[in-house]
Amino acid sequence: MENSEAFRDVPDCVPSRILCEYAYCPRLAYIEWVQADFADNYQTVEGRFRHRVVDREEGRLPEPDDADGSFHARSVWLSAPGEHLTARIDLIEGEGNAVTVVEYKRGTVPDTPERSWESDRVQLCAQCLVLRANGYSCQSGILYYAGSKTRAPVCFSDELVDLTRRLVLELMDTARQARLPPPLESSKKCEGCSIAGICLPDEVNFLGGAIQDDSEGGEKVRRLAPGRNPALPLYVQHQGAFVGIKGELLQVKSRNEKIGEARMFETSQVALFGNVQISTQALREMCTRSIPVSFFSTGGWFYGLALGLTHKNVELRLAQYEMSRDPVKSLAFASAVVEGKIKNQRTLLMRNHEHLEDHVATRLSQLAKSAGAAERVESLLGIEGSAARVYFSHFAGMLKSGIGSGSREGLDFDFNGRNRRPPLDPVNAMLSYAYSLLAKDLTVATLGVGFDPFLGFFHKPRYGRPALALDLMEEFRPIICDSVVISAVNNGVMSTDDFVRRGPAVSMKESARKKFIQAYERRMDTLITHPVFGYRISYRRILEVQARLLARVLTGELAEYRPFLTR
Amino acid sequence: MRIVYVVTYDICDSKRLRQVFTLMRGYGDHLQYSVFRCELTDRERVEMVGKLSAVVKHDEDQVLLFPMGPAEGMRERSVLHVGRPYNPVDHAAIVI
Repeated sequence: MENSEAFRDVPDCVPSRILCEYAYCPRLAYIEWVQADFADNYQTVEGRFRHRVVDREEGRLPEPDDADGSFHARSVWLSAPGEHLTARIDLIEGEGNAVTVVEYKRGTVPDTPERSWESDRVQLCAQCLVLRANGYSCQSGILYYAGSKTRAPVCFSDELVDLTRRLVLELMDTARQARLPPPLESSKKCEGCSIAGICLPDEVNFLGGAIQDDSEGGEKVRRLAPGRNPALPLYVQHQGAFVGIKGELLQVKSRNEKIGEARMFETSQVALFGNVQISTQALREMCTRSIPVSFFSTGGWFYGLALGLTHKNVELRLAQYEMSRDPVKSLAFASAVVEGKIKNQRTLLMRNHEHLEDHVATRLSQLAKSAGAAERVESLLGIEGSAARVYFSHFAGMLKSGIGSGSREGLDFDFNGRNRRPPLDPVNAMLSYAYSLLAKDLTVATLGVGFDPFLGFFHKPRYGRPALALDLMEEFRPIICDSVVISAVNNGVMSTDDFVRRGPAVSMKESARKKFIQAYERRMDTLITHPVFGYRISYRRILEVQARLLARVLTGELAEYRPFLTR
Repeated sequence: MRIVYVVTYDICDSKRLRQVFTLMRGYGDHLQYSVFRCELTDRERVEMVGKLSAVVKHDEDQVLLFPMGPAEGMRERSVLHVGRPYNPVDHAAIVI
């Protein structure tokens, strides 16, 4: 990206721990340092916990000329601009002006002749160079592997020093050119890497053709990040409720009585509907913990989001703005997404429709193909509209006949076409509500990846619309939202008594919305086998993976966006 | 992925006891005096232990964590009772 040099200021110093990561995997260092993106996993959290003793600054580091007798200093921060290095050193043990540098590592001693990892030796050497640049004489270093309670001595040979200096220059060069290094190929190093869910090494390698799927079910693509997020959303729609915090709990009260609570450690997001209050302390805690809080009207119109100031992947936004100015690339993405939607609509009809005539399936296949080949946005919109007409005119065939007729208000589950603003019947009311929930989830997912959710490539930016979220939502509308509505009706989860009519508009009663949201959430948390990668993953995670894959298309790492197609 | 833990504690000072109780409320179900049932991934357990470590006095207090096995499939049949029953709630999105 030519404009990146003008935009970016590469810092003069590389932190020694980032250099360690660069030696381990260049892409890891780039994502963490340049993109300022990070994720924790068990190992990183445990490592920080064990390291807390080491992190306490203690002892005194005397000036090199003043040093006399033995001393030790913990958690010392030093820099060496001449070497382009900066380091927070765990432990310096000194005798006169000769110092030994010690670095604590969480893991176990590896089975190599040196009894240490090269990346760790590079880090230690970097710290040694920093000490030398500050006037100390540093000839020896020790890596302490806490997992094995073993000290591994490191010799600062000329080769190690040369390697360390070379890696520093390479990393700065990579940062200057804003070049995301490619993922490692089928490397064991990816297992246990906390940012595997951000990097997506096997997925990118697979889509880019670097690893082949030569067996059933894509066994070569490992599932390196958890298949589902163990934390779950909290929805509050009881009118008049108040959300506050108490200790590590989110407490929901109504008229000063507790009506519910959620533990923050297992809460992934909070959604508030209508007249629900949230305290500032609670909002602050949500921001600090990166738990998004979304705001809906009582009827389910998504109108706002509160998010902490965490995302710094500005590089991705630059790429996003660039692509939005490129009509060819924007169209390519839009047609992939519409083609995906039409194919999923067809699959849903074929799976659920009681007697689908062949010509309907054929027509949708043709439309999907035309969408993929569309040469103008106007044609694409026309194709999308035609497909919607075909699809919704056969939608009723997916609903069990005879279900739910004759509520007290004369409402039923008959479906005669899509209508909205306002929805005129129960099925449309549910569809609108489900689409709103999914738009919220995609807004959260795109923000989490670092996108601007308001700048789309297909939907034009308009007031109040998260256009990118709507773009990415297309292929998921049939298989998540429509499917949830169909199941809710056919399984009797929702009944016609759950709806109320006001004027022409039909909406769900409050008690019914709770059931419906739960049904939507059950679907989002369901594990399915990924049709491309072969591993088990929840729908909610799939949204995030698709958003990340789009990010890779934007930065040029992947050639094209591949929509999620259900089998 | 989540493991069930029974967590019990014996805290010598009343202020620390309150802090531990408030902290534990944020991680599990309060069953009886100083006894909680939690469902935690490894990472969540480390975070909880980290927070407990910051509160307890290590030479006086004691917190014990007993792993009971994976949470999935265990909820309905894991607990026998005499007197009032206890039924662990299925893990799902909370809608209020």
